[in-house]
Amino acid sequence: MIAYDQTQLDSLLTRDTTAEWHRQGLLSDEKWLAVQIAHPPYFYRPNVFVRIGLAIFAMILIQSVIGLLALFTSPSAEISMALFCFFTGVLTLVMLEVWAIRAARHYGSGVDDMLLYTATTMLLSGVFVLLMSGNTDPLFFSCIALPVLVAGAIRYLDRLMAAAAFICSLAIVLQIANKAPGLALYILPFTGMLFAAGAYFFCKKGQTRHTWRHWHKTLGVVEFLAIVLFYLSGNFWVVQQAAAYWFGLGQVPMPWFFWTFTFAVPVAYIFWGLRQKDRLLLDVGLACVAEAVFTFRYYFHVMPLAWAAAIGGGVLFATAYFSIRYLKKRSSGYTYEADADKTLLQEIEQQLIAQNLTGQLSAPADQQESLGGGQFGGGGADGQF
Amino acid sequence: MRQHILGNLLQKELLSPEDANRIGQFESGKPFSLHWELKTLLYLGVLLLNLGLGYIIYENIDTIGHSAIIALIGAVCVVCFWYAIRHRRPFTTGEAESPTPYYDYVLLLGCLLFLVLEGYLQYQYQVFGTRYGLATFLPMVLFFGLAYWLDNRGVLSLGITALASWVGLTVTPKDLLARNDFNSSTIVYTAVLLSAVFCIVPFLSERRDFKKHFSLTYLNFGVHIGMIACLAGMMALNQTVIFFPLLCAAVGYFIWYARTRGSLYFLTVAVLYGYIGVTYLLFNTVRAADFFFYLFYFVFSCAGVIVFLINYKRFIKTNTP
Repeated sequence: MIAYDQTQLDSLLTRDTTAEWHRQGLLSDEKWLAVQIAHPPYFYRPNVFVRIGLAIFAMILIQSVIGLLALFTSPSAEISMALFCFFTGVLTLVMLEVWAIRAARHYGSGVDDMLLYTATTMLLSGVFVLLMSGNTDPLFFSCIALPVLVAGAIRYLDRLMAAAAFICSLAIVLQIANKAPGLALYILPFTGMLFAAGAYFFCKKGQTRHTWRHWHKTLGVVEFLAIVLFYLSGNFWVVQQAAAYWFGLGQVPMPWFFWTFTFAVPVAYIFWGLRQKDRLLLDVGLACVAEAVFTFRYYFHVMPLAWAAAIGGGVLFATAYFSIRYLKKRSSGYTYEADADKTLLQEIEQQLIAQNLTGQLSAPADQQESLGGGQFGGGGADGQF
Repeated sequence: MRQHILGNLLQKELLSPEDANRIGQFESGKPFSLHWELKTLLYLGVLLLNLGLGYIIYENIDTIGHSAIIALIGAVCVVCFWYAIRHRRPFTTGEAESPTPYYDYVLLLGCLLFLVLEGYLQYQYQVFGTRYGLATFLPMVLFFGLAYWLDNRGVLSLGITALASWVGLTVTPKDLLARNDFNSSTIVYTAVLLSAVFCIVPFLSERRDFKKHFSLTYLNFGVHIGMIACLAGMMALNQTVIFFPLLCAAVGYFIWYARTRGSLYFLTVAVLYGYIGVTYLLFNTVRAADFFFYLFYFVFSCAGVIVFLINYKRFIKTNTP
């Protein structure tokens, strides 16, 4: 089912986990060495930066090869276009399976990612070209795309494919709900919530299954999207904008419900996140608080923006300050000490810090200023205002 | 999942039962870390405060509360610096750990508010008159001083930015203000020189063993400023003869650096910039060639770069001392 060698995936998991235990000082050097010898590295897995570089060059390379093939075959009619798309799609898929995964043992190297994405895009565009002639319902196309995306996510453990599959299935569900005559407006938000809740519990359940261990991160992405979608389905701003855009409605039905939802859900997320020690729920909850504040400010101008920013900043700083003090003083189930579990974002941040780069001023902004040569009288670093 | 791994290793006798016991206890009693969340909150708080106060000061010109706001910002700024100086670690030439978790953020807030105040004073009262250079020179000196004294890389980045705009300003202040189009070649040359300085500083500091851990901050600014300046020289100024060799030298330098220090970041960045430069040069000189030529070029060059990047490990390993 998985394209990658499963025993080697297990061995990789063991290596990573024991490396963490070793870092925590739970494992002696000799023991760790023994584990490493018993589980030698098999896959080619470059560091984040090299992966990005490889992905960029692999993309240009694949595009150029497809361009050359197109020049030689010059497909013009609809059928030949579709055939060309299928042919290149299958070709890249074979490249991925036979060369990248079997021969070169790539796993998350940037090259295998790009081959997978190109193959999927080409196959789906082939279908699209065929369907474009008739006046096909987008729902039909989504239904064809979904199995391809799901298969890609399952077979190649790919997180982006999983996210695409989630969005595709959401599109299907919403399009069906939208067909309900007269009721669509009332049904849509609740459809979104129900769908998100279903996806969330499916992922939570799946992550506890040992046989599904290799899809742990893939399911994590879907879980994240489900949490975000659940909040957005009931957020007042989103509902109001959608009602105005699709149904031309100025007024949202049941405003009290959506306003309560806008403020209650972030609080519930943070509360449950802390209670269950669920980092994803906590982080999304924090982001949702910001979204709730924006929603409120969009409809009620209680304070000038500058004052709101200053006071909000002060509140954030104070909250963090007192939380850290509290955590430093007391030993509870929570700590301020850095953890070994990392999300991708934290991983990149750590990589950057490991390279002694400061993330506090983004590099691109600085280059512009140095090249643009102080067009702003105040100087470079105070570009914030 | 971890229980399974533990059981598996125990079965293979790679771990002793005591180890497994210890690890199992650690895993079940592991506290939930709020480190990253709280740090992000601190950082966002500092940014928002700076943003809000920066706007408030301009919005309230000519109102009664005006001087009170300035006094407030000044007071916060002073408190920040006072806190930073009071809680500082003794000076070392090496790396010092932050004394408190909030230390870096308080210092950053102080520096940012200093810029807000200074910019405002110049705007409203023209404290520096037309000597615009001084307006960036002052924070630059302050930031570099604080960065080295209190050992803070965030403030060092601020100082480097101030240095860059100071150089940009003193090179072409008159042109900038008299006419709207500024002499871009001067700026490109300045940027190249500046990035050369940023590449030399780390060497001196490593040789003298003085704040060695700052070198990557300098190099990160150096690599982007220098490479973009070279590319701008090639593309905008059309001075390929001067800037292409410079670009090659820069790419060579950073690949050499990546090779000796094992830094994959600089390797990738240097390869990317170099590829853009070579591609531009080729396309600009071979104008008449047809479409096939370009596609074949991309196929072979990208394949070459990919092979190079995949084999970087061998490349870096054999050369580390």
